[in-house]
Amino acid sequence: MHNQPKVMIFDETINSNIKFNKMKKIALLLAFVCVATISAQTPYEKGMTKAFELWKSNESTKAIQMFERISNVEKDNWLPPYYAATVEIISAFEIKDETVLTAKLNKAKSFLDIADTLSKNNPEILMSYALLNTAYIAFDGQKYGMILSGKNVAIYNKALAIVPNNPRVVLGKAEWDMGAAKFFGQPLEPFCKDVKKAIELFKKEEQTIKFYPYSGLGRANEILEKCEKKSSQN
Amino acid sequence: MKQFFFLVLVIIQLSLTAQTTIYGKVTDSKGVPIAGANVYLDGTYDGTATAKNGKFSFTTEEKGQQTLIVSFISFETFYTTTIVKNLSNLQIKLRDDVNTLDAVTVNAGSFKAGENAKVTALKPLDIVTTAGAMGDFIGALQTLPGTSNVAEDGRLFVRGGDAEETQIFVDGMRVFTPYSPTANNIPTRGRLSPFLFKGITFSTGGYSAEYGQALSSVLLLNSIDEPEENKTDISLMTVGLGVGNTQKWKNNSLSINASYINLKPYQELYPDSNEWHKPVQSLGGEAVYRHKINDNGLLKLYGAFSAVTFDVTQEDINTEEGTRFGMKNRNLYFNASYKDFLPNDWSVQTGVSFANDYSDIDIVSNNVKDTESAAHFKVKLSKFYSSRFRLNFGSEYFMTNFKEDYITDTNENYNFDFNTNIAASFVEANIFFSKKLAANIGLRGEYASLFNDFTVSPRVSVAYKSGANSQVSLAYGQFYQNPKNDYLKFNTDFSAENTSHLIANYQYVKNKQIFRAEAYYKDYNHLVKYNTEQPLQTSNYSNSGSGFAKGLDLFWRDNKSIKNTEYWVSYSYLDTERDYKNYPTKATPSFASQHNASLVIKHFITNLKSQVGLSYNFASGRNYTDPNKNDFLSSKAKNYNAVNANWAYLISQQKILYFSVSNVFGTQNVNGYQFKNQANTNGVFESRTIRPAADRFFFVGFFWTISETKKDNQLDNL
Repeated sequence: MHNQPKVMIFDETINSNIKFNKMKKIALLLAFVCVATISAQTPYEKGMTKAFELWKSNESTKAIQMFERISNVEKDNWLPPYYAATVEIISAFEIKDETVLTAKLNKAKSFLDIADTLSKNNPEILMSYALLNTAYIAFDGQKYGMILSGKNVAIYNKALAIVPNNPRVVLGKAEWDMGAAKFFGQPLEPFCKDVKKAIELFKKEEQTIKFYPYSGLGRANEILEKCEKKSSQN
Repeated sequence: MKQFFFLVLVIIQLSLTAQTTIYGKVTDSKGVPIAGANVYLDGTYDGTATAKNGKFSFTTEEKGQQTLIVSFISFETFYTTTIVKNLSNLQIKLRDDVNTLDAVTVNAGSFKAGENAKVTALKPLDIVTTAGAMGDFIGALQTLPGTSNVAEDGRLFVRGGDAEETQIFVDGMRVFTPYSPTANNIPTRGRLSPFLFKGITFSTGGYSAEYGQALSSVLLLNSIDEPEENKTDISLMTVGLGVGNTQKWKNNSLSINASYINLKPYQELYPDSNEWHKPVQSLGGEAVYRHKINDNGLLKLYGAFSAVTFDVTQEDINTEEGTRFGMKNRNLYFNASYKDFLPNDWSVQTGVSFANDYSDIDIVSNNVKDTESAAHFKVKLSKFYSSRFRLNFGSEYFMTNFKEDYITDTNENYNFDFNTNIAASFVEANIFFSKKLAANIGLRGEYASLFNDFTVSPRVSVAYKSGANSQVSLAYGQFYQNPKNDYLKFNTDFSAENTSHLIANYQYVKNKQIFRAEAYYKDYNHLVKYNTEQPLQTSNYSNSGSGFAKGLDLFWRDNKSIKNTEYWVSYSYLDTERDYKNYPTKATPSFASQHNASLVIKHFITNLKSQVGLSYNFASGRNYTDPNKNDFLSSKAKNYNAVNANWAYLISQQKILYFSVSNVFGTQNVNGYQFKNQANTNGVFESRTIRPAADRFFFVGFFWTISETKKDNQLDNL
């Protein structure tokens, strides 16, 4: 609860206000309040935290809007437009109407393009581009599959060349390869290994940048579970 | 003292929280409230979303000039800059975003295929996996309405126009000799390999002012901007072999491919009715180099070379030994195009294309050597004022030099040559009045130096969205084209031939189903006429010909109703007559059939890893002249029917086996009749039926792709 310290300080201020003889203390406190708000949380952190809370409570649209507003302030930071796009793409997977789907994905793409100009060849942004293509393919494989699956393969290769040990890239590529292998009835074992490798990389990953999209370990574990089940059946 | 501090505190508090409330209501253009729109001050964290009734309210501590932004999906983003305290009781109307899938499209006359089309009549793969198309994209287009099946020719005949009335463009640049040479009565194929293209627009009328020198139709091909990966393709086919390689670097990529076709083994297995002295052999190569400049600039260089030889004797009713026809052709085509974005929402597209075609033809004991060199230069600028208004304008220049060297059997030598240069300029505005109403308005001017002729062609196209899934469009245009080389080599005192198109289109699109109906009327004027059996140097020429074509085209595509199956049906009704060439009277030309229909079915069998395809083509009998009847083009040949099948089997992710058979049932089709020049002793002109050289054609191919990722295959190559 990042908001807590600040609220407590304000409560104290109100309490102190009643005691007129402690004015010096009040002045000090007031100064402290200002300092505390700044050091505890910048408006950026506050906004991002709020947006993640909205996303967690299934308010995707509101979360996207929050990220959009933040990206209009933080014009040099790729994370807000990256999240505005990525949340939009994830929510597009439920869409059944092609008009709505393309409108959402076009909007997502414009945010990804902003993120991409701020941070060139960023593997996390590349993964979202691949996810965007996957949303189209999932909607109508016959219409979009032929063109976009080739593009995705190219994206995974490019990302892998930049960061061979990024767990999300390793996992994304493995998941993609498993889909193709399933279609051709080929063994999944080699890709299960990649998933295992991704899990190790997830565990080793140092999480230093605030709000960086470090997530993915949970999904990797889920895939590995399925993978092992399949392999044991064979 | 206490009071003083209290006051200070209050002031501090106030100044800290001196807030302005920004409030108002967001609606669409009709006043219907928009819920969930994002309303915020630019560059601040202050903002909110609109409620169900479209109302919003939020407070800000910002002062002075601020920009309020209102954004919502499927609407244009709204901006207003003013002093914060004026941002109260706002009534904001958001305008529809006209770039959405449900917005109207100006589409009268045209079919689109490929990734950027909103409504795709053909998908990229359809171009090459249509049964009977034999991997030729021209063949796939012939299953669309508006085309006539002319089985012995193979080129595109559109809406009562002959094949030369259709022009083909690659990346906006003209392709001068798009078809491979063939002997009489053997259908040609397109020279361009289909897998180089990512998008195709096939317009059967009413096209943009950007394109000229085409009376009936334009086919616009856009080449791939950036290949996906390094790979090598190998194809082994019953008719030859091919190899291709793509290399990709940071800002550059190069694709090359080469093919060798030899029909000898095939013809030994399945002899046809021709006597081949040298079967068709062709060697071809293509190279595409793409170079990215800065972020948005893209330079593409495309070069193609092909050499074709054959020597054949074909049946002829007038000579017992038949007619011998030998061909040596070489063709070079080069196309360079550059596109880039300029500041202030301008963009530029420019290019050069060049073709050199040389044919050495032996007909019986005459020899003809033709050389055609042609070039096209073009520059086009676009200004993007808003998503609702875009202006394109440009200029282009065509140069053609044609030389013919004709040596008769008695060693007489004739030489013909001419130069024709055409300068043209065009301007076109693309306007969206609303999400429901859009128009393209253009004007084209052309000047032909050879006969000092200046023409002006207005083009207008309007579309209106009549319902949630339907739209109607109308198009009108004037189109000019210079007379063809066959006449220009003998005579240059001409003006350009002319048509006007009037088109009404209805389209219904819902959930992977498309229905289209299009009615048209074409009026032909200034067609070339001459007074001899063949165009000759001694003929009298004029531009006094005229004609008309009217009809109805229907198209239905359904990708939804039957599981794992896609199919489309097209039907064209055509009523056309013209008085041109040496026609004694107005008549329906021999390439036009009144009814044309196609059915194409594709079915995916996932557990067999296969796609099977079937197609059926029908064309009602075409006219011919029976000299025994003393009437011109009034007899009708029998109807054309063919059922074609193909099967693509994915052996593994990178190996494909492909089988294809055209005219499975071996229907004995008739291409026309040939009559004796002289009547026999009973006064009857004897005749022979012209039938296809072979009823069926088999094709087996094995395609193997070697790439780093082991994912690519040549499915889109078939």
